[in-house]
Amino acid sequence: MSGPADLAFAHADAIINWARKNSLWPFFFGLSCCFVEEATAWGPRYDIARFGSEVFRGSPRQADVLIISGTMFKKIAPVALRLYEQMSDPKWVISMGSCSNSGGMYDVYSVVQGSDQILPVDVYIPGCPPRPEALFDGLMLLQKKIAAGEKPTRPVLHLPGGCEGGRRDHLIDGVSKSRDPRGPGYAGIPIRGTAATEPRFYGSRAGGMWTPQAPRLSLRPDQEAVAADLQAAFGPAVTMVPDAGDMPTYRVDPTRITEVLAHLKSVGPTRFERLEDLTAIDETTRDKRPANDATVVYTLTSLTTPGMVRLTCPLPTRDAAIATATGVWPSANWYEREAAEMFGITFTGHPDPRRLLTHRDWAGHPLRKEYEGRGTAMAPFTEEDCKRLEPVDAREILGPRADASDYLLNFGPHHYATHGIFRYVLAMRGERIKALGMDIGYHHRGVEKIGERQTWHQFIPYTDRVDYLSGVANNLSYVTAVETLAGIVIPPRAAWVRVMLSEIFRLSNHLMYFGTFLQDLGMMSPIFYALREREMLLDIVETITGGRLHPSWLRIGGLAADLPEGWKEKIDAFIKIFPGRLREYHAGVTKNPIVRARCRGVGTITAKDAIDWGMTGPNLRATGVAWDRRKTMPYGAYPEFDFDIPTQAGGDCYARYLVRMDEMEQSLRIIQQAADTMPGGRYLAEDARYSLPPKTAALHDIESLIHHFVNVTRGPRLPVGQAYAATEAPRGEQGYFVVSDGGCHAYRMRIRTPGFANIQAMPLLAEGLRIADFVATLASYDYILPDIDR
Amino acid sequence: MQPTPPFTPLVAPFSPWEPSALALIVFFAIVLALLAVILFLSGFLVRQRPTPEKQRPYECGILPTGSARFHYPVPFFLMAVFFLIFDVETAYIISWAVAWPELGVAGYLRMAAFILILGAGLGYAWRKGGLDWTEEEGL
Repeated sequence: MSGPADLAFAHADAIINWARKNSLWPFFFGLSCCFVEEATAWGPRYDIARFGSEVFRGSPRQADVLIISGTMFKKIAPVALRLYEQMSDPKWVISMGSCSNSGGMYDVYSVVQGSDQILPVDVYIPGCPPRPEALFDGLMLLQKKIAAGEKPTRPVLHLPGGCEGGRRDHLIDGVSKSRDPRGPGYAGIPIRGTAATEPRFYGSRAGGMWTPQAPRLSLRPDQEAVAADLQAAFGPAVTMVPDAGDMPTYRVDPTRITEVLAHLKSVGPTRFERLEDLTAIDETTRDKRPANDATVVYTLTSLTTPGMVRLTCPLPTRDAAIATATGVWPSANWYEREAAEMFGITFTGHPDPRRLLTHRDWAGHPLRKEYEGRGTAMAPFTEEDCKRLEPVDAREILGPRADASDYLLNFGPHHYATHGIFRYVLAMRGERIKALGMDIGYHHRGVEKIGERQTWHQFIPYTDRVDYLSGVANNLSYVTAVETLAGIVIPPRAAWVRVMLSEIFRLSNHLMYFGTFLQDLGMMSPIFYALREREMLLDIVETITGGRLHPSWLRIGGLAADLPEGWKEKIDAFIKIFPGRLREYHAGVTKNPIVRARCRGVGTITAKDAIDWGMTGPNLRATGVAWDRRKTMPYGAYPEFDFDIPTQAGGDCYARYLVRMDEMEQSLRIIQQAADTMPGGRYLAEDARYSLPPKTAALHDIESLIHHFVNVTRGPRLPVGQAYAATEAPRGEQGYFVVSDGGCHAYRMRIRTPGFANIQAMPLLAEGLRIADFVATLASYDYILPDIDR
Repeated sequence: MQPTPPFTPLVAPFSPWEPSALALIVFFAIVLALLAVILFLSGFLVRQRPTPEKQRPYECGILPTGSARFHYPVPFFLMAVFFLIFDVETAYIISWAVAWPELGVAGYLRMAAFILILGAGLGYAWRKGGLDWTEEEGL
């Protein structure tokens, strides 16, 4: 096809390609952590406008490049495929990050092992998450691809021949791609050996290893009073478990559980107002097999007498029935639905016994021990599976709460204002929300299942990604739980650094909150200021840890490395400028009459409801409850620091905003104190046998080398037991419940996240609001998807 | 020096000084041609690949429930109707006020009756809750 026409077309091709490649409009579609870096690329330091791609479109009709930024979940895949189909032609696809490229570190049942199995990917960007510079590299690659490979004039003029747009075909497992990270030819061989293959861990040599002594709890007077009261009220139906190391633990007869819960909530000498967590354990592959097959675990917190209590209910089989706790705590609703779908337990009397995180048609109970955890060991996920797992109809989610005459509106999973892939279903009467339904699990990454096959240290990188804006603060919750389990004491320097980094991440998270909250209210500029300051913080984090979003920098017993040279100068520089910047924010925003009108009295919740629904963090403090774990149940080095707990009485959007603004000031105070009084000495506990010895030591003496080798490969062994530890993460209380069976892996890894409890109360805030106010409420609420769905 | 050529006016339809329909016709012809070109190009140059999925309404990536034709409470509809009534009333009263000297007491009484009837109507609407901004019931 060469002739004078084609010669002329070559010039037209060049012009059309030039125009197209310099105005690629990305679709505003973020799946996971990678999207944070994508949004940062849009911010002031990186400025994606240099590439003509700053126009992130909310509608697929107006976008021509789909950046799959994050993990492609099986539940979101049908949605992603539909959105791609709805984009205008010609269109291109960039796969951003390891998860999207191959499933990445999430080789798990709920994740598609490479989005190229269902979508035609043009450019892959490696990284977890890729930095903004890497995104630009991918964007430039796509531009080169367009300029070099496409001949759009003929298709534009409806002539035969030519080509435009990206690939149209997806890859097929076993034909054009291999999901095995080792390449083809290893079928049937476990990825990391039988000792690391669930559920049996065959050939594990953990039994012969040394392990620290598990600590034993001595009861405080108020805890003894509770024990005596329970003994008097329930007799043999409630017995104390003798070997608990973290909190008083009682074994409760399953038939009396609701009575015991109601008693502890409102009758006993100490009132446990909050249902902290409700979960289950599959006991069928324990080393020493107990008589029961499953255990339901209730964790309660008392706010008036700071303390916690755990109730365990042995169930004979894993599909046995137990009475629902929703009558005592409404927040038990989602916890029980999750335990039911994950373990198969039946909660009799549950008002809404549908699956919560997985799709309605999902087969099996993922957290049962025999359930296949690895995505690569399952059949490849294809377009046919997308049809099978089509998200359920809105009417099914609302159930009887919506009349036939109500207009049902899907708000998400793809929406600007949902801050992630979250699906709200609104039953609208006119402009008001009559009933709010929520469908979650689009971001379910199966972290709890992964926690059962990663060694104690290997799991740390997964914790960063549980709340991907809070980095090290996540590590802290996990290592605190493990250290409680094994009675590990960390040196002061490590404790100080942990506090300092957690507060830096709180600041960075609240800055992101400030920007996105106001952007959702319609103020475009604050996010640029907030991202500017956030980059300063990320520079500090990068100086210290070498990472940005996911440093994975804490270790059991301390830190990964000592503070580097020059850390203090950077922090001092930040402390110097930030108070002024904060004043700037207040001047521009806090007194703005439009912001006040949009936020005051909108989306309110009372303190009583907030406690009853298990709300934590700034959202709880915005209702006037001065509860902050850093003060009330201190952990780590927090008792050594001087700071206040900001509260607001309103319980509305404005109060939630103000609390976070005040928290930024307090965090800055803590960072300053930590930097000024940083103790010297070791950054890792003396007894490094359960921890990773410093690499320098491992290169110099044989003992350290051996421990380094064993702890990296096989992992340390921790004593039999269970421990729950919660920290005040930026979004609320994040707790890890680790159960050890004396192996190198957790027997059960339960993550109690603030978002799960907070968001469950959303109908209380949102019903009766108009849609615009609903957007303000969501933005003020500050939740994050992996934190809800895990 | 060249002698100035004698001034010969254009024939009327082409003269810029004479009002005529031709200029208007040419203007409309240009507009129509431009519109035709724009409509043709935007239809022709765009890549149309209709698939069932693409033709579907976009609702955050989920299949919509129900039709887009549904009962929608419009509280401002009542307000608009009332406004119309009282707007017409104002028009009557102003025209009456302008003609006041001619109409005299008889006109005054008639207008008073008119206003009283309208006032009763307003009171009725008020009592029935027609002025409340009730968007919907059962919320």
